[in-house]
Amino acid sequence: MDRALRSRLERRFGERLLGPVVQRHDETEIRVSAGDATDTILALHDEPDLHFAFLADLAGVDTGERMQVVYHLWSETSKDWLRVVVDGLDREAPRCPSVTFLWKGAEWMEREAYDMFGIVFEGNRDVRRIYLPAAYTSFPLRKDFHLPDDASRSPGRGVRPMEESLPPRDATPATNLRRAQAG
Amino acid sequence: MTSQTHRPHPSLDDPSISIEDVLRESIVDTVPVARTEREAEFYTLGDGELLLNMGPQHPSTHGVLRVVLKLDGERVVDIDPVLGYLHRGVEKLCENADWHQAICYTDPLEYVASLFCEWAPVMAFEKLADVQVPRRAEYIRVLTGELNRIASHALFMGWFALDLGGLTPILWSFIERDEMMDMLAAITGQKLLFNYYRIGGVNGDISHEFMSRLGDWMTRAGHQVEANTGLLNENEILVRRARGMGVLDKATALRMAVTGPNIRASGIPFDVRRAHPYSVYPELEFDIPTRQEGDSLARYLLRMDEIKQSLRIIDQCLHQMPDGPVMAKVPRLIRPRPGRSWAAVEGPRGMYGTYAISDGTDQPFRMRIHDPSFVHLQLVSLLTPGNLIADTMAIMASLDPVMGGVDK
Amino acid sequence: MTGPGHHPAVDPAAAASVPGEDAALPVPAGTTDVDVPIVVANQLWTPASPAAYAPGAKGINEDIEHLRDLEASGILQRDNGRWAAALEVVPTTADYILDLIRANSLWPLLSGLACCAIEMMSTATSRNDMDRWGMFPFRASPRQADVLIVAGTLTTKMAEPLVRLWEEMPEPKWCLAMGDCTCSGGRYKRSYSTVQGIDRVLPVDVYVPGCPPRPEGLIYGMMKLQKIVVDRRGHWPERRTGPTVPAGV
Repeated sequence: MDRALRSRLERRFGERLLGPVVQRHDETEIRVSAGDATDTILALHDEPDLHFAFLADLAGVDTGERMQVVYHLWSETSKDWLRVVVDGLDREAPRCPSVTFLWKGAEWMEREAYDMFGIVFEGNRDVRRIYLPAAYTSFPLRKDFHLPDDASRSPGRGVRPMEESLPPRDATPATNLRRAQAG
Repeated sequence: MTSQTHRPHPSLDDPSISIEDVLRESIVDTVPVARTEREAEFYTLGDGELLLNMGPQHPSTHGVLRVVLKLDGERVVDIDPVLGYLHRGVEKLCENADWHQAICYTDPLEYVASLFCEWAPVMAFEKLADVQVPRRAEYIRVLTGELNRIASHALFMGWFALDLGGLTPILWSFIERDEMMDMLAAITGQKLLFNYYRIGGVNGDISHEFMSRLGDWMTRAGHQVEANTGLLNENEILVRRARGMGVLDKATALRMAVTGPNIRASGIPFDVRRAHPYSVYPELEFDIPTRQEGDSLARYLLRMDEIKQSLRIIDQCLHQMPDGPVMAKVPRLIRPRPGRSWAAVEGPRGMYGTYAISDGTDQPFRMRIHDPSFVHLQLVSLLTPGNLIADTMAIMASLDPVMGGVDK
Repeated sequence: MTGPGHHPAVDPAAAASVPGEDAALPVPAGTTDVDVPIVVANQLWTPASPAAYAPGAKGINEDIEHLRDLEASGILQRDNGRWAAALEVVPTTADYILDLIRANSLWPLLSGLACCAIEMMSTATSRNDMDRWGMFPFRASPRQADVLIVAGTLTTKMAEPLVRLWEEMPEPKWCLAMGDCTCSGGRYKRSYSTVQGIDRVLPVDVYVPGCPPRPEGLIYGMMKLQKIVVDRRGHWPERRTGPTVPAGV
């Protein structure tokens, strides 16, 4: 828990932060809006007393009401991880500025966020699906995409589309015999 | 952007359409309509260039990766890796599972070194639930983790040589791996997907069988490492094919968010165990091997050096291991307070991280897995152009990706 | 007129008895051209499509330009006689020996998808050596492989390439489902992107459960496959695909 980092961040970004700097265990978290995201990250990257030049992770989050993009950064000036939460993205058409101008390695991480949530990163040269087939129409990690998991408590429980839509009409005769015997 | 429950394939709901028809009509691969700038750049062929598909099934053993090569003769001009052939939806499945069950889903991600895949989530969940792990459990985690790191690097040696055409080193590396897997099976019960780490500790204490196998193996391990490296390090074919190939310089490595041996072979000594220490690594003495050249040979030699450092760590663990419980008192159904946590460990491929969000219930709200192989695969399209086709696999092998982690 | 060796026009005694370079095939006395061909009837097997062997059938060197014409001509069915007649004819010793040969050199296709591939590689390497049963050469090309060992989770994106590989493999071919993910979906049972068991898309002969199955388990599965090969129980042309899980389960 790096108190010095907290004061540096508050001094530098005070008016831009959407909420206090949260610190827990060895992580420091700041929240900014999508409009301030590029300036904030550029400042974190370039300024010598911050120097968060290492991108650890880029993730999308769907809170149910809004979308977020979360960056995890590391710097040798601080012993904490820094988490930058770009908050307030619209759930129906999320757009966020891209950081590929700083870290080209973020290109695929942003592609993954697009694939899973539908977040379009402005400035990324390659916003297309990476995991799912190109013709897939849904964004699986959104909170309104329910897995057909009857063991869960989500609204998807009880639904088994694969077993329902593919009856074993072509199965081997032994299976059909069992079905006949089972009535 | 509509949100609706997705059916696996729309036509599969219709019983009159058989699955053979669905598959057959989608088997033809066409050049995709370019929708993004990068796609347009890639799929626009210059004079004399051709596209070659190195399909999801190929003799290179990294898994199901499809690589589309743009070739000019035999020189590679550009590469477009197509992922997703092993995407199993782990992050979504974890949202529907308990905190303890979610750890089971993370094992098969980097199946070669699955203890690290469990370690990062377990650390993140422990931070959320404010669980203190007993010291003996931490030492056991480090011990088994380093053993898994050696196993993974031994397999890397085999795969690297296999992709360059050598058939013997893979057999040697599996001999070593099988011994280590037997050791870990003695305490975890599993040879590959261990499912050993728990929130609050590990699943069981180390047993006498494990200690005897480990002691036995440690006496031979040094010689075996020397024998394996002696087989390959001065092999002219390997050296000439790997030296100067796929050079990654420092600035590019930082820009591409590279971690692990790939960045240390380029001269940046970033290792999560020292940069952001976790577990009991601050109490252990070990070096961070670093090389400056940044080519495939440096990445290979660096991993061999790391095996020696891991042996050193295992030795210290054995001497310094305290007594005590191996599992903290954690309830069966944990409900961490609402919050977020991030934890990262140094896996054999790089920094393996987990970002977990809790909403106070007994299921994770969001479980994000950051896998190093995913990030490193972007280097392939950066490092390969200008080389021959056969070097594609050599460069990819030196980056050591595992498709389970890439595709999650 | 029927039966081997009985041809009214051929009289072995009438064969030219001059030795040396003039010795040729026995020429029927009185004829200089063979208008009734010598037929040696086949007792070992019946052809699946007799039209392929009928007089006047197109040969392989004819100008067949399109694949569908080639398939329609019946030439490709020539080698299928044995398999189609497998159950109607009691296998002779030659068939039995050929099956033993096949069983003892089943060449797998390199189709390791995920974690089970590591255990498959472990089965192929020194400690658990599959080469003892002739299975070592993992062919990279499906054209040269006998067995498709599907090792690892099959996703919907990978289903197309895998079925394509299966179709490219020439018969006789068998399929072995290794690991829980291929048998039934395994730990990814409710995922949105995995195929819940490869028997939805491929005909499977042997299921080897486990996550991952131990190399000994895979070897046991391969030995069961060898038994299937010898017993001729793998009837791939008649096997239908589709889930073998009954509805309601």
